[in-house]
Amino acid sequence: MTVPAFELRDVEYRYQGVIALAGLSLVIPQGKRVVLLGANGSGKSTLLRLLDALYFPAAGQVLAFGEALDARRMANEDACFAFRRRVGFVFQNPDMQLFNASVFDELAFGPLQLHWPAERIRQQVETTLESMGLAHLRNRAPHRLSGGEKKRVALASVLILDPEVLLLDEPTASLDPESESQLIDTLIDWGGGAKTIVMATHDLDIVEDVADICVVMQQGRVIAQGTPGEILGDEELLGRTGLIHAHRHRHSHSGGAAHRHHHLHHGTRSTMPGATSKLVWRPLPRRKPEDA
Amino acid sequence: MSEQSFLDHSHQRGFLECQIGSLLAALEHASRAERLAQAPGLLQRFDPRVRLIAMLVLIGLVVSTHSLTTLYGLLAAAALMAFVSRVPLTILARGIWLNVLLFTGALALPAIFLVPGDSVFHVPLLGWAMTMQGLESAAFLVGRALTAATFAGLTILATPWPHLLKALRTLGVPAVMVVILCMTYRYIFLLLQSALDMFEARRSRQVGRLTGAEKRHMLVANAGVLLSKSLHLADEVYLAMQSRGYRGEQHALLEFRMAPLDWTALAVLLAITSVAFRFQAWGLG
Amino acid sequence: MHIPDGYLSPATCAATYAATLPFLAVALHKVKQQLHTRMVPLLAVFSAFSFVVMMFNLPLPGGTTGHAVGLGIVAVVLGPWAGMLAISIALLIQALFFGDGGISTLGANCLNMGVIGIGVAWLLYRAIAANASVDSPRRVVAAALAGYVAINVAALAASVEFGVQPLWFHTDAGVPLYAPYPLEIAIPAMLIGHLGLAGIAEAVVSGGLVSWLQRAEPELLQSMAAAASSDANTDADTDSPSASVDWSPMRKLLGLLGVLMVLAPLGQLASGTAWGEWGAEDFADPQKRDEIAAASRNDPLPAGTPEGLKQLGTLWNAPIPDYEIPFLPRTVGYAFSAMLGGGLTLLLWLGFGWVLGGRRRRSSPG
Repeated sequence: MTVPAFELRDVEYRYQGVIALAGLSLVIPQGKRVVLLGANGSGKSTLLRLLDALYFPAAGQVLAFGEALDARRMANEDACFAFRRRVGFVFQNPDMQLFNASVFDELAFGPLQLHWPAERIRQQVETTLESMGLAHLRNRAPHRLSGGEKKRVALASVLILDPEVLLLDEPTASLDPESESQLIDTLIDWGGGAKTIVMATHDLDIVEDVADICVVMQQGRVIAQGTPGEILGDEELLGRTGLIHAHRHRHSHSGGAAHRHHHLHHGTRSTMPGATSKLVWRPLPRRKPEDA
Repeated sequence: MSEQSFLDHSHQRGFLECQIGSLLAALEHASRAERLAQAPGLLQRFDPRVRLIAMLVLIGLVVSTHSLTTLYGLLAAAALMAFVSRVPLTILARGIWLNVLLFTGALALPAIFLVPGDSVFHVPLLGWAMTMQGLESAAFLVGRALTAATFAGLTILATPWPHLLKALRTLGVPAVMVVILCMTYRYIFLLLQSALDMFEARRSRQVGRLTGAEKRHMLVANAGVLLSKSLHLADEVYLAMQSRGYRGEQHALLEFRMAPLDWTALAVLLAITSVAFRFQAWGLG
Repeated sequence: MHIPDGYLSPATCAATYAATLPFLAVALHKVKQQLHTRMVPLLAVFSAFSFVVMMFNLPLPGGTTGHAVGLGIVAVVLGPWAGMLAISIALLIQALFFGDGGISTLGANCLNMGVIGIGVAWLLYRAIAANASVDSPRRVVAAALAGYVAINVAALAASVEFGVQPLWFHTDAGVPLYAPYPLEIAIPAMLIGHLGLAGIAEAVVSGGLVSWLQRAEPELLQSMAAAASSDANTDADTDSPSASVDWSPMRKLLGLLGVLMVLAPLGQLASGTAWGEWGAEDFADPQKRDEIAAASRNDPLPAGTPEGLKQLGTLWNAPIPDYEIPFLPRTVGYAFSAMLGGGLTLLLWLGFGWVLGGRRRRSSPG
């Protein structure tokens, strides 16, 4: 059996004195698509940043491809480049990830840092732009892109390195339905489905399409793990972790009377456009990119 | 910006409208420049490095000439350049010339009377003496400001900004500066947009008039939010850079190639410069 | 405050570029040592921030508005070196893309606002805030005052640059080739605007933003306070740019600037008017003398040493053989006095700091 892509053992992490991860243990096998579910502040983003070696744990251990992932390993240039090449991270807010002055430069940034030869970079940038349908935006400045385009450029700027593992933080946040389904399709097709994906979300809509494994987090711990069917079927768990919520609304079929009950919605994303369930279900209030 | 610039100075009445107006003017200037940079004109075809060097040489010429003929000849050349580069004269006139005339023109006006010299005309009633020297010095100041701004403006309007920043590399600007400049340029628009959103949000809730103190308080609070946002942004951008392999090294990929057209342009530039200097040496103009 | 192209002569532009570049070179060197930190994005974002803040129209009492440059807040958050770079970057982008401030005059603008403005703001803030606690109102006052004084010193520098133009650069017929107003018009005109409007805007923004930081980002001011209380903070890994300010290159550069400011007028005196259009022989020709007099606003050429230089004059009288001060227009004397005075103050201040610093080093071994 191959080594897991990541293995976390009793990981603890504090952010400005507040505990963000409290004794978290988790195994992420290679080639699987893992979805991290949890309400805001459950520690999903922090976990992703630990997996990308941007933060290092205060206690416990993170293993990447069987080797310890710590500050000492990342201080070594070769080891650092090797890791960066294998693991890509798409941040939640593309405005923070797109820090170059044009789309071309954005795609070239990673390869330049990893010391690829200039000719190869030019070639690879053009190929990637072409395959992601971004060629017409080549010289565009990031502030002149739409939300969906920004997300696609951010994804392209990571995929250009052809990583083995892709980490995504709320990839569908603030996307319109069409951009969202395009993005999901890209992810599912990526690398023939053989790549490892770890995605943090509270958008239950996309879980069944994407996930092999669901991990539910609360207060910096993993509290449940299973197949999408198992997790999405456990309404009590989802309610307790704030992933579904009771709210008031009107059903057209009940004569407009308002009533209060739990809502769970999944699996009807693309099949029932305009269906009642689609209309009444609202994802949890998303954090605006500015508050992130 | 209250000073001379390429931005529109449409004076809005209200306080919030005024803030929004000046932020919008900057965004509009940027999008106009981006549109014109794609136009199939002559200037757009030159290598960005050639455009940058030409701009610097020509502005140097504008600043150092002692001849009004040369100065206004250069202005005419700049207008001609705009024409063949498909930059509409209305954009030059409204975006650059009007602003220069409003600022530098107004500033130069008193000089007509204040500079001592041979008087050519007395203003009736007031008895102020207009001097030849005063007129000439005003013509110099306005001519230089106009022509230099036209060359600078043309270059900006015809060149994608990231290209221009990268061309600075060939002038010996260190790579780290070019990287920082590109990033600054990129985040100016994010922060402009944030500031715009804050003012728009406030405007939608605003009823009644704000007092001066309230306006100042609100403006500083908005600047504060922007400051916190900037600090947070810097942290996040640093993580995003690290995630893609940043370890403190700066690289900028230059994608420029010199074509025969570019060498021709440089030769023409050299010719113009030497003619201008000859002209001056002969004491003409 | 943003001087456009055409206002300053090439010689002035070259001189101001030459004065600015060493500061920026040292600043860049400092910054390069912190590239492994968040320095690059911090500088970029802060330059962008100061750019955007420069666009705010701050309403001032009396129905007018003013623009702040953000000198105070940038100096407080980034410290002098990174602050100089941030302001210079914002000025470069303003000049290149928005035509606000010229390209030939960029050196002068960077000198006035970046080097002098940030330097003054940082020194004042450090002196006044000193060991005040992070949430002390003294920090707000310090930042406001630092911003106010800094913008005015910057404006003074700009007005001196303007004011010397008609004296040094004009045609034989007395036509000023660049900014046409002499010092006695340029200085009051610039300072009235800045002592009133722009200075208040700067004070409000700088003070207001430090007060904001006290509430929103106290840990940032904390690192500043630590830096201000210990000069010898050499923690290379620190993430705060202002926390590791090494003063020695700044002192050297400021010393050099001071020496240059003193030497420039002296050089002028020694060689007649080196940069002017008047040849030394012109002064001997009575007819030309009348022209010069005409070019000096019809003031009769002073018979004796101008007031401004009288006291200083005795200092230099002996070492300079062909001392031609009687033939110089009065305003040139003022310009020289201003530069001499500025340069001497700078040198005195540095010497004072050096003596004090030496005593402190001796008294605290280790």
